[in-house]
Amino acid sequence: MVKEFNVLIAGVGGQGVILMSELLGKAAVRDGLRVRGSEVLGMAIRGGSVVSMIRLGDEVYGPLIPLGKGDALVAMELAEGLRNIAYLSKSSVVILNTQRIVPATVLIGKSNYPSLEEVVEILNAISNRVVRLDAARIAEEAGSFMTANIVMLGALSAISQLPVKVKTIKESIQDHFSGKLAQVNLKAFDLGYQACQQA
Amino acid sequence: MKELAISSDAPGEKLFLLGNEAIARGAIEAGVQVAAAYPGTPSSEIMETLASVAKDLDIYVEWSTNEKVAFEIALAASICGVRAMAAMKHVGVNVAHDPLMIASYIGAKGGLVLVSADDPGAWSSQNEQDNRYIAEQSYMPVLEPSSVQEAKDMMADAFELSEKFKQIFMFRTVTRVSHGRSDVVLGEISRERRKGSFRKDPSWLVYTPAEARKNKPLMIKRFARIKEAVNTLPYNQLSVKDGAKLGIISCGISYSYTLEAIKWLELDDKVSVLKIGTPNPLPEELVKKLLTSVKEVLVIEELEPFVETHVKAVAGEANIPVKIHGKDLIPAVGELSTRKVIEAVVRLTKAKPPVDFKDLDKISEDIAPLLPWRPPILCPGCPHRASHYAIKVAARRVARDYGKGVEPVYPGDIGCYDMGVNPPLEAVDTTICMGGSFGIANGLAHIIKAPIVAHMGDSTFFHAGIPPLINAVYNKANITMVVLDNSTTAMTGFQPHPGTGYTAMGQETVQLRAEDIARACGVKFVEVIDPFELSKAIKTIEAAIRFDGPSVVVSRRPCATEELREKKKKGEKVIPCYIDQDKCNLKCAVCVRLLGCPAIVRKEGKTVIDSFTCTGCRLCAQICPHRAIKQE
Ligand SMILES: Cc1ncc(C[n+]2csc(CCOP(=O)(O)OP(=O)(O)O)c2C)c(N)n1
Repeated sequence: MVKEFNVLIAGVGGQGVILMSELLGKAAVRDGLRVRGSEVLGMAIRGGSVVSMIRLGDEVYGPLIPLGKGDALVAMELAEGLRNIAYLSKSSVVILNTQRIVPATVLIGKSNYPSLEEVVEILNAISNRVVRLDAARIAEEAGSFMTANIVMLGALSAISQLPVKVKTIKESIQDHFSGKLAQVNLKAFDLGYQACQQA
Repeated sequence: MKELAISSDAPGEKLFLLGNEAIARGAIEAGVQVAAAYPGTPSSEIMETLASVAKDLDIYVEWSTNEKVAFEIALAASICGVRAMAAMKHVGVNVAHDPLMIASYIGAKGGLVLVSADDPGAWSSQNEQDNRYIAEQSYMPVLEPSSVQEAKDMMADAFELSEKFKQIFMFRTVTRVSHGRSDVVLGEISRERRKGSFRKDPSWLVYTPAEARKNKPLMIKRFARIKEAVNTLPYNQLSVKDGAKLGIISCGISYSYTLEAIKWLELDDKVSVLKIGTPNPLPEELVKKLLTSVKEVLVIEELEPFVETHVKAVAGEANIPVKIHGKDLIPAVGELSTRKVIEAVVRLTKAKPPVDFKDLDKISEDIAPLLPWRPPILCPGCPHRASHYAIKVAARRVARDYGKGVEPVYPGDIGCYDMGVNPPLEAVDTTICMGGSFGIANGLAHIIKAPIVAHMGDSTFFHAGIPPLINAVYNKANITMVVLDNSTTAMTGFQPHPGTGYTAMGQETVQLRAEDIARACGVKFVEVIDPFELSKAIKTIEAAIRFDGPSVVVSRRPCATEELREKKKKGEKVIPCYIDQDKCNLKCAVCVRLLGCPAIVRKEGKTVIDSFTCTGCRLCAQICPHRAIKQE
């Protein structure tokens, strides 16, 4: 029985965060798990911060992960990884895509953007395991830069505590995409999986 | 494995659904035959889901011009004996409020359900609004689910209940239910399709004062029956724990936070809990049972103290000496969470919080200065950016003639163009409600001496823009009204509307034009512009502002996101712009400072255009004083 496993997926609008949680959630349901989730989109406009939460297990009721109760944080973007650290604890795993999406407010000097070193240092101080990936590069290797989100999903699947079967997640990817796109995405998934194992 | 779909008749099987999909599924299971809506976050996916299966399941689905019409469509179907629903966001119910107040007198023949999607936290709304009060005022019972599964189940039952009690029901969902996701166990789909018929019955359907006075007592009687019945509905559940001193009453989604909080605090066998699924009317018998079994009660609900007030009334009436807490410990602003519930419970029980939330807040506060601010922005290539810019340039030119220091005023509306309020555009002075821009402009015209240029989107124009436009003509308001026609309802997810030429079910239909309507309404200056032909657009808007009397400019350009999607489908290429670095005068940065386009970025000390994000709209190329921006 799975009691509670909380996955937080963070990124910027347009990075495919919602699709990741859909694929993960579908797979979890197929594995017979109880699933609760929610997304925080703000106004449904591109460029804003996006957080999607997927919660697995029999002792989960609410749609939102309480602060400090995140088991895995998948950050599609560097600063968004840092933004969500209040959900983490020592035992949580962070999978960090080092890609930076710098908004105009930084260009016109109205806000800041952290350096990679700052982000990694703070994350390391909070969680025992931080895995860094260049998902964009891996996605290119798989055949399309559009698959960065699937690379990250693959990396998440390599975390031993994740209660969803790798095979089932791959099935839900297979079902979602058709033809050649399915192949490219499955490759992206595998490469992400391997990259996380090696990291 | 064959994938299940939202329309699969597969009772007992599980699907992973969005809350709004679950609500649609519930309606499908109930055999809904007519569904009408106007889009609005967080409600839109309900009708989108129904529209996607409408033909297969023989359901009539429409996007109506506004919520009032949508509600009337559903009401008419119910009067004819057919199961019907209307769906809208919380403020949409304000627009439908007029017929709603009479619909309650009429009651329901075919099951009639009004879905009100409230938005605690105002994630995508202009306010927080608790529509349980609207329901109470009209004797409308409210069903409020605590989870996505319950949303499906309740919705499936709602039509049956509505028919049984001959009353319209409100189904109140909130953002966290509508946009939550969960595994959902499906039920059976009703295939019953009734043949509706209209029976003439003025004493039931014609509301003269005499009919109003006759029908009101009937409505009150129906409500009294419902008040009895809710005590045994499965959505209200009382769990009394032996020796419990504290009782919690939680309504809707708050129940999920409550369960989680008391489990985390290890109080689950020390606290009695009453789950409320029908806040209006309350299951008073269950409430009394709880009140008499404990010393103290905490009412947990989002937004206003609706349940709390009624629980206090029940306690007062029955003389039950129990201390009742609510909004003294639970915030009335924003969404609730497990944490907020824990903090309230801790104050009443002296239990130890499982983690130090203040510590976690401190961590967030400490890193805040490092983080980029990502306000919602207009997309690259968005035609609204060009329209805002053109309006400002034109209006400022005219303002100079009004005298020194006179600033034009830009009443704005509800849509993607809201984002024009942010720097650098700063082209929106008011945002109140749909259609409000033209109305406010009408009022300003009789008070201030300055150019008044109001703008609203095309979907908003058909929704609520036409009466204030007629008002400007009738009452001689000297204003300029710009319709930002991007051929879609972009902000809520690209739904069609009367200007797009097709319906919710994908049927082709007449395409209405704002300029034709404006002319028919008696506006004497009506012009259509393409905002991407900038200098022409500015000239036309300037002429419109200078025109003596109300004027209308229709700024027509398809939504950039929709256009990109179309191009992708057709295999057409996007040709981005680029900056000729030899010509660019770095210091000027006019493009960065005036437009705020996310495709224009600074890289290694240079201003460059990101070729992935640029859509090639050429707006920046037209304002660059050095003619440094080019397109291949
Ligand atoms: C009464 C009411 N109904 C619905 C909404 C939700 N809503 C927000 S913006 C918008 C319309 C946007 O369409 P349009 O005016 O064409 O502008 P666009 O977003 O396409 O630029 C809607 C329906 C609302 N705020 N108020």
